Amino acid sequence: MSLVALSEMLGAPVRDASGAVRGRVREISVAPQEHPTRIAHLIVRTADGERFLSLTDLKSAGATVRTTTDASRWERYIPSDGVLLLKRDLLDQQIIDIHGRKVVRVNDVELESTPVNSHLLLNIVAVDVGARGAIRRLSKGLMPSFTLRALLDKIPPRVIPWEYVDLIETDPARRVKLKIAYEGLAKLHPADIANIVEDLPPAEREAVFETIDEEVAAETLEELDPDIKKSVVESLDKDRIADIVEEMDPDAAADLLGDLPEERSGEILKEMQPEERQEVTQLLEFAEHTAAGRMTTEFIAAPETAVVDDAIEALKRFEGSREALATVYLTGPGNRLVGSVPLVRIAISSPGAQLSDLSEPYVACAPDTPEDEVAALFDKYNLITLAVVDEHGRLTGIITADDVITMLRHRH
Amino acid sequence: MDFLRKEWRSRLVLFLAVVGPGFITANVDNDANGIATYSVAGAQFGYSLLWTMIPTIVALVVVQEMSARMGAVTGKGLSDLIREEFGLRTTFILMLALVATNYLNIVGEFAGVASGFELFGISKYIVVPLAALIVWAMVVHGTYSSVEKIFLSASLFYVAYVVSGVLAHPDWKAAALSTVTRPASIGFRNYGYLYMVISLVGTTIAPWMQFYLQASIVEKGVTVRQYAASRLDVIVGCLFAGIVAWFIVVACAATLHTVGKYNIVTAADAAQALRPLASEYAYLLFAAGLFNASLFAASILPISTAYAVCEGLGLESGLDKRFDEAPTFYWLYTLLIVVGAGALMLPRFPLFRVMVASQMLNGVLLPFVLVFIVVLMNDRELMGEHVNSRGYNIVAWATVAVMIALTVAMIFWR
Repeated sequence: MSLVALSEMLGAPVRDASGAVRGRVREISVAPQEHPTRIAHLIVRTADGERFLSLTDLKSAGATVRTTTDASRWERYIPSDGVLLLKRDLLDQQIIDIHGRKVVRVNDVELESTPVNSHLLLNIVAVDVGARGAIRRLSKGLMPSFTLRALLDKIPPRVIPWEYVDLIETDPARRVKLKIAYEGLAKLHPADIANIVEDLPPAEREAVFETIDEEVAAETLEELDPDIKKSVVESLDKDRIADIVEEMDPDAAADLLGDLPEERSGEILKEMQPEERQEVTQLLEFAEHTAAGRMTTEFIAAPETAVVDDAIEALKRFEGSREALATVYLTGPGNRLVGSVPLVRIAISSPGAQLSDLSEPYVACAPDTPEDEVAALFDKYNLITLAVVDEHGRLTGIITADDVITMLRHRH
Repeated sequence: MDFLRKEWRSRLVLFLAVVGPGFITANVDNDANGIATYSVAGAQFGYSLLWTMIPTIVALVVVQEMSARMGAVTGKGLSDLIREEFGLRTTFILMLALVATNYLNIVGEFAGVASGFELFGISKYIVVPLAALIVWAMVVHGTYSSVEKIFLSASLFYVAYVVSGVLAHPDWKAAALSTVTRPASIGFRNYGYLYMVISLVGTTIAPWMQFYLQASIVEKGVTVRQYAASRLDVIVGCLFAGIVAWFIVVACAATLHTVGKYNIVTAADAAQALRPLASEYAYLLFAAGLFNASLFAASILPISTAYAVCEGLGLESGLDKRFDEAPTFYWLYTLLIVVGAGALMLPRFPLFRVMVASQMLNGVLLPFVLVFIVVLMNDRELMGEHVNSRGYNIVAWATVAVMIALTVAMIFWR
């Protein structure tokens, strides 16, 4: 078992069974449909055109490639969409480093060769994104290979194991063939995904949003820089963006659609499920920089006669954002707000306790309260959520602390 | 009618929204080095180099438009694309050349600061380190973007050259004639002449501009759909830069060359060109304009170089990163400024000579950068339907060929 760099193999002379040089390595391919990491073929440029060299024919791989077969038996090379070409698709391209949570450029690829029976297996083990790979390529051919190896051994490696690499492919058909699904990326925190996406060019951003799960896409979209968010929404097709918007918090969805040209937001709304559409349309009617423009209509309310058990039932059924869970609101006849119970008090009380006994004096504001005053209320009363009530005292929505923080930060 | 007016207005709004990249780049292009080069050309050769202007501006429009289009279509920077399409080694060599050339340009900007203040007898040992510190801090602390508009408005200074050029009563007929035909008085077998021609092209179409413009287009998020407005912005910017350049040469020809003052050695000589407009205040006007132009370009050149190099080599870059996250980026940026300003600390530093020399080097590097741009612009996989038209290719390849021929000839006749 030994490591060999892609850059060492590219251009390496290929010797056939007789020992004669028959060509040079031009490309190395992986067929992800068959095996995710295994090298499928070397593509060799010979005097008689380009040939596939199967791995079962390989005796050794490195600065020289030796085979066990005769050159005449190598098949003619036919280009195909479904294979990953390491030089074209990976070397010098940008990839997503899942572990380091950033976008990096590939300097070299590390392959591991393992002898099996009478031939070799080659597997991708890591991509080199550090100085070692760069210096190896810059000085290739300029100094004897043993001097170079000795020099390179002194440089600490910066490699990303292959399982932490997500490739970026903008062509959807090819993405399917190469089995690129951004599984690693989707496991990251949406805020980290957003950071990564911001570092990508527009077409690549689109590729990520077309591929990842809608729910993750929705959360990521909320975290994006406003300008980039807008351009992503404009670039995606309306079915896809409607699916994503449905997964967003209604207040965030309303904010997003409110920033778009009316024609575009109308198109997107039309594609949404009726229920979500109605919630968002309602919010869209409020002025942006008021309490109503910031609030969400997904909150937990219980009748004033309810007990702790009822509240817990409501919590279990709740599908809104986690931030809205912090408080259970109590409503009287006609949906009038009468009290608020912090989640903590519910958690430490017995199942049969009356919610109205646990209730604290509530703080609420009118829908047209300006943003500044909303922030001031959060500050003054140390709130996690704030209720918004209409002129009849009816509970219409709540504002959560995370929205206030975002609002304050964006102002500076 | 109403419909027409509405369309016109929305076009104007669209234009103002994207005014920036192209126009800013063109204005930064008329930096201290540019002023120096145009002044020296006018003083030394009178009207006889004006013929270079029209072909150079045509090439400038073509080159800048290509960079802007590439940025809008791909959403990637020029050095990113060169790296992806041509590999690490090519990119590395090109980046070395770019750093060397841009470094001299930066030295030139600080020389501009030095010579501006020289007029008032203020020592360069005081102003240059101060200017370096201001530039460094302004960019790192993000105050640059708010100062940019001040720089841009102060670029109105260039109008002074237009007015002064008119007031100097130049020989309009000779100037116009020299603009459309090449006077045969001096041949191409003259080293000084070739040096000046290359410098003129190099200062008008500086290699760093392509990297900077494309990066700005990407940064602004201009896409193919808004591209029409960006194209207009680029073209207007180029024409503005061209008109200013023409008038600087004419003003210097009319005020300096005609009275036998052929050699510009200090800013005091160059400032004479503004005398018809500002008489005894010419020094003041020239110094202020030169200072603004120098500082404007000095704020852009080092940072744009650091971005281009780090992106091409795949190193962390960006002012949103901390120093320890993007060490190469910050070190390169800092060193370009410190060593750039540091060169001015040498006693008896030939200010104007170095400023012009940096532009000559721009002209020598230009065809190499251009080759990459044209090859990328013809890559259908990359540019799709926005690949270069034949006309563009002809102008671009002709520029490459002419610049290489001029360089070879210059070396030959040395």
